[in-house]
Amino acid sequence: MIRHYLKIAIRNLSRQKVLSLINILGLSIGLACFALFLLYAVNEFSFDRFNKNADDIYRVYRWSEGLKGEESSGDVYMPSPLGAALKNDLPDVVNYVRLRDAWNESFVRIDGNTRSASVSYADPSLFSIFTLPLLYGTPTNALKEFQNIVITQSKAKQLFGSENVVGRTIEIRMEDDYVPFVVSAVAKDIPANSSIRFDLLGNFDFMETTGSAKRGVNNWNRSSYITYVQLREGSGLASDVQKLASFRKKYYPDEEAQLKKAGYSWTGNTPPIRFGLQPLRTGHTDTKIYGGSVENVNPKTIWILLSIAGGVLLIACINFTTLAIGRSARRAREVGVRKVVGGERRQLVVQFLSEAVLLSILSAIIGWVIAVVLLPYFNNLSGRELEFSFSAYPEMLWMMIGLTLLVGILAGSYPALILSGFRPIEVLKSKIRVSGSNFFTRSLVTVQFALSIGLIICTIIILQQTRYMSSKNPGFNRDNIVLVESDYRKAKEIFPLFKQAVESRSDIGGIAGAELGFGADAGWSRSGFEYKGSHKDVYEYYIDHDYLGVMGMQLIAGRNFNPAIGADTLTSVIVNESMVRQFGWTVENAVGQELQGYSESKTPVVIGVVKNFHYRPFKEEVLPQMFHQYADYSPTRIIVKIKPGSPALAIAAMQKSWNSIVPDLPFKYTFLDESIDSFYKAERRWSNIIGWAGGISVFLACLGLFGLAALAAVNRTKEIGIRKVLGASVPTIVRLLARDFLLFVIVALVIAAPVAWYFMDKWLQDFAYRINIGWWVFIVAGGVALTVAFITIAFQAIKAGIAKPVKSLRTE
Amino acid sequence: MLELKGIYKWFNTGNNRTFLLKDVDLSVKAGEFISIMGPSGSGKSTLLNVIGMLDSFDQGEYHFLHESVHKLKEKQRSALYKQYIGFVFQAYHLIDELTVYENIETPLIYQDVKTSERKAMVADILDRFQIVGKKDLFPTQLSGGQQQLVGIARALIARPKLLLADEPTGNLNSKQGEEIMSLFKQLNDEGVTIIQVTHSEKNAGYGSRVINLLDGMIVNEPVVK
Repeated sequence: MIRHYLKIAIRNLSRQKVLSLINILGLSIGLACFALFLLYAVNEFSFDRFNKNADDIYRVYRWSEGLKGEESSGDVYMPSPLGAALKNDLPDVVNYVRLRDAWNESFVRIDGNTRSASVSYADPSLFSIFTLPLLYGTPTNALKEFQNIVITQSKAKQLFGSENVVGRTIEIRMEDDYVPFVVSAVAKDIPANSSIRFDLLGNFDFMETTGSAKRGVNNWNRSSYITYVQLREGSGLASDVQKLASFRKKYYPDEEAQLKKAGYSWTGNTPPIRFGLQPLRTGHTDTKIYGGSVENVNPKTIWILLSIAGGVLLIACINFTTLAIGRSARRAREVGVRKVVGGERRQLVVQFLSEAVLLSILSAIIGWVIAVVLLPYFNNLSGRELEFSFSAYPEMLWMMIGLTLLVGILAGSYPALILSGFRPIEVLKSKIRVSGSNFFTRSLVTVQFALSIGLIICTIIILQQTRYMSSKNPGFNRDNIVLVESDYRKAKEIFPLFKQAVESRSDIGGIAGAELGFGADAGWSRSGFEYKGSHKDVYEYYIDHDYLGVMGMQLIAGRNFNPAIGADTLTSVIVNESMVRQFGWTVENAVGQELQGYSESKTPVVIGVVKNFHYRPFKEEVLPQMFHQYADYSPTRIIVKIKPGSPALAIAAMQKSWNSIVPDLPFKYTFLDESIDSFYKAERRWSNIIGWAGGISVFLACLGLFGLAALAAVNRTKEIGIRKVLGASVPTIVRLLARDFLLFVIVALVIAAPVAWYFMDKWLQDFAYRINIGWWVFIVAGGVALTVAFITIAFQAIKAGIAKPVKSLRTE
Repeated sequence: MLELKGIYKWFNTGNNRTFLLKDVDLSVKAGEFISIMGPSGSGKSTLLNVIGMLDSFDQGEYHFLHESVHKLKEKQRSALYKQYIGFVFQAYHLIDELTVYENIETPLIYQDVKTSERKAMVADILDRFQIVGKKDLFPTQLSGGQQQLVGIARALIARPKLLLADEPTGNLNSKQGEEIMSLFKQLNDEGVTIIQVTHSEKNAGYGSRVINLLDGMIVNEPVVK
C-alpha cells in the first residue's frame, strides 16, 4: 500500500516539476536553517556534558550581594590557595584544578621561527577531572614536569606541521626571555561544547613562579584563577551554604566586620559575600556569574534564535500547504476515482500524508547537504566551531528525524483533510472548483509576509543602530589613526626611538603614546575610591602630552600636560565633563581640584578638562574619565596619525623602523576605526543573523507566492479567456491577478509593523545612545515586500494575460 | 438483486423544490442487462449514482442483496459497494499518474488483496481483454477505446455482481462503441448484472430491458425481448 502511495507521489512530483521544485527547495532551505540553529542550540545547552564526571564537577564562584541597589552578581576568579584549602578542609571535595585563561597571545618560538599563540595554565589534575582525551601522551605524564606543555592536535599541526610532537621543544616568551617547554602530550581537539578551552597548556605551578603571578602564591587577596572542584558522588556540598560560609570565614576572618561597616546586611545566616559551587553543566547558560574562557550565553538568546529559525521553517511549511491546496483541483478527480473504486477517506488521508512526508524526507536530505555546506559560514556568524556529529550530539539524529516527520505531517495535514473530503460524484462531474484561495490559505500567506516583513524591519533597525554607533562622532579623530601595539616590558625605551624614526616623515601627522588602545579587546582600567564621603568609580589611563592633539580631543578648561612641568608626571590629571559633573564641580572651578582619597600615597590635582568623548561603546553613557601621566606607567600603545593619502606607504615605513628597533617582535597595528567597530560585534552578528533570516523568509514567501500565482492563473484560465474575449487588456488582467495577493502583503505589513516596533523599541532600550525608529522603516520594509511580491506575481500574471483566449477556452 | 421503492431526490431553491428523482420504483434481478434512457437532465445519471450508492436520496427505500441501504451508515454502504459494484464512466476516469496495470490493480489494493493474488488477478484480466502489451503505458498514451477497456477491466477486477456504466460509449467512435457493447453482452452472458445509461437505441438493444426516464420519473418499462 505504502509502496503504491510513494509511486504515485513520485510521479506527481515529477509531473509538476516547477511546483515540486518550489516545495522541495523551500522546505530544504527551511530545514537547513533550522538544522543549523538547532545544532547551535543543542551545542549551547549541552555544554560540558561530554565530561564523564560532569555531574560532580563544580566551578567555585564568589557571590556578591548588591550594595545599595546595585545588582548582585558572581564571578569565578579565585585566589590561588583556594583549591588546596577546599580539598583539605572539606572531605566532600575529591579533587580540584586551577586554571589560568590565556588573556592574550604570547610569542612562541619553534625552531627559531617566532609565532604567536595563546598559552593557558592548569594543574595536572585537569586531565583526570575533565574528559579531555589525549592523542599522544598519557594523562599522568601530561604536565608532570614543571616545563611540560600540552598542545592541541590542530595547534600542533599549525605550529609544527605534524601532530605527533611529543618531546619537541617550544619556546614561550615570558617577560624578557624565551623559556623552553617540552611537549608532553597532544590533546584531541576540544569539542565545541567545552567550557575548558586551550591551544597550549602549561603547568600551573610553573606559571606561579613567573612575573606578577608570584605574588598570588598563598595569597588570599589576589583572585585571578578559575577553580573547579570534583565532589564525591552524591555530595550535597553545593547547596550547603553554611558549610561554605564557615569555610570562607576561616580564611577571611575580618571580612564580616568590614562588610558590616560598609553597610552590607545579612539575610539570616547567609553572608552577602560568599563562595558558591556552580554545577559544570549549567555554567554556560548562567549569565549571573561572570568569567571563564567562553562567554556565557543567555538561554533567552538561544530561544530567540530558534524561534527565528522556526519562523523560517514555518514559512516553508506554509508554502507546502498553500501550494497543495492550490493544486487540489488537479488531484480532485483522482480522489473521486479512488473513492469510487473503493478507497476510504482514511486511506486517502494516509496517502496524502505519506506524500507530504516523502517530500519532507527528500527536502531533509537536500537540506542536510545545504546545512553542511553552509556550516563554515554559520560558524563564522555564531562564533563557534560546530560540526554535525551524531556522536557529540546524539539528540540531533532523532530531533532531525522527528522534525522531518513533523514538518511533513504539519504541512500535509490540511491539504490531506481537504482533498480526502471531496465527494466523488461532484468532482467527477467537475462541479467543485477549488480556487486554492480560501480564507485559510489567504491567512497563511499573510502570516508568511508578516513574518518576513517583521524580520526586514528588525534588520533595518539593528543595522541603523549599529551604523549610528560606529559612525557617530565619538569626540575624537577616528580616521587615519593607527594604533601600534608596543612591548609591555620595553615600552618606555621603544617609544622615543620609534617616534624619532617615524615622526619626520611627511605623511605622518603626529605621534602620541598611551597606556590603552580602543575597541572591544583594548581593555580598560578603572579605580574606585572614596571622595568626600561617597564612592566614585573613575576610568583612567596614561597618556603623553601629544595625545590630546593627535586624537583631536578638545580641551575646554585648563591646560594640557607639559613635559617641562615636573608635577605633571606625579599628580596632574586631566578629566572629562562627566567627571566634573559627577564630582560636583563646574568646568570653571574644576581646575585645581584635588582628588582626596584617591590613594594613600597620591592626591591627584586636576589641571584640565576635556570635552566628553566616547572611550567606551555608545551602548554606555560617558562615564567619568581621567588621564594621567604618572611616571611609573608607560606608553604600551603608540598612536600614529597618518595624513590622508596612502596609508600603505606610511605603514611600510613604520614596519621598517619597528623591525630595526625591536627585531624580535612582530609589528602589530590596527586602524582606530576598525578597533572601534569591534565594540559592535554583537550588534553586527545580530543584524547579520536576522538579516539572513529575513532575506531567506522573503525568498521563501515569494517562492510560495510564485506558485500560488501560477495556480491562480491556471485555475482562472477560463475567466481570463472570457474577459479577454470581452475586450480586457493585458494590464487589466495583471491587475486582476495581482490585486488579491498585494492586499495580503499590505495586511501583513499592518500586522508586522507594531509587533516589530515593540520588540525593537525594547531592544534599543539597552543602548545609552540610540536612534529613533522612523516611520520610513516600515514603509521601506513594506515597499520591499510589495515590490518583490509584485515582480513575482507579475511574471505569472503577464503570462496568463498574453495567452490566446481561444486556446484557453478550448482546453476548458 | 436490488429493489428501489418510492425513491425521491430533490433540492430546494428558495421556495421551489426541484425533483431529480420522483417516486422511482425499480427492481432488478440478477443477470439482467438494463439500459436507462431519457433526454438530458431526466435524471439518468442520478438514478445510476443512487443505485451505485455514490449519491444519497431524500425519501424511499433501497434494498440491495437483503441489505437495507437507506438504513446503512456511510462506512457500511461503502463496504457494500466496494464488494459488489463496479463503475464505468463516459470519461473513463483513469488516474493519469498510474499505468494501465496499476489502474486496474487499485480496487484490489483498497480491498486488501494480497500482492501475489493481485498479480494473478490483474494478469488474468489483462489477458482476457487482450491488453497485456499495454500494461506499462499511461492512460494518455492510449486511444479512447483502449482507455474505456481499461476502465471496464478496472470495474470488473474485484469480480462485482453489478456493473454500472454511465454512457460508456459516449466518448467513443462507433466501431469502438460496438466493441465495448459486445463486451458488455458477453459479460452479461457470463452472469454479471449490468445497468447502463445510454442515449443510443442501438446500445440499448444489447440489453434485456429499457427504462425510460423523464423529469425524474419512470415513464414506462417496455420489455425489449
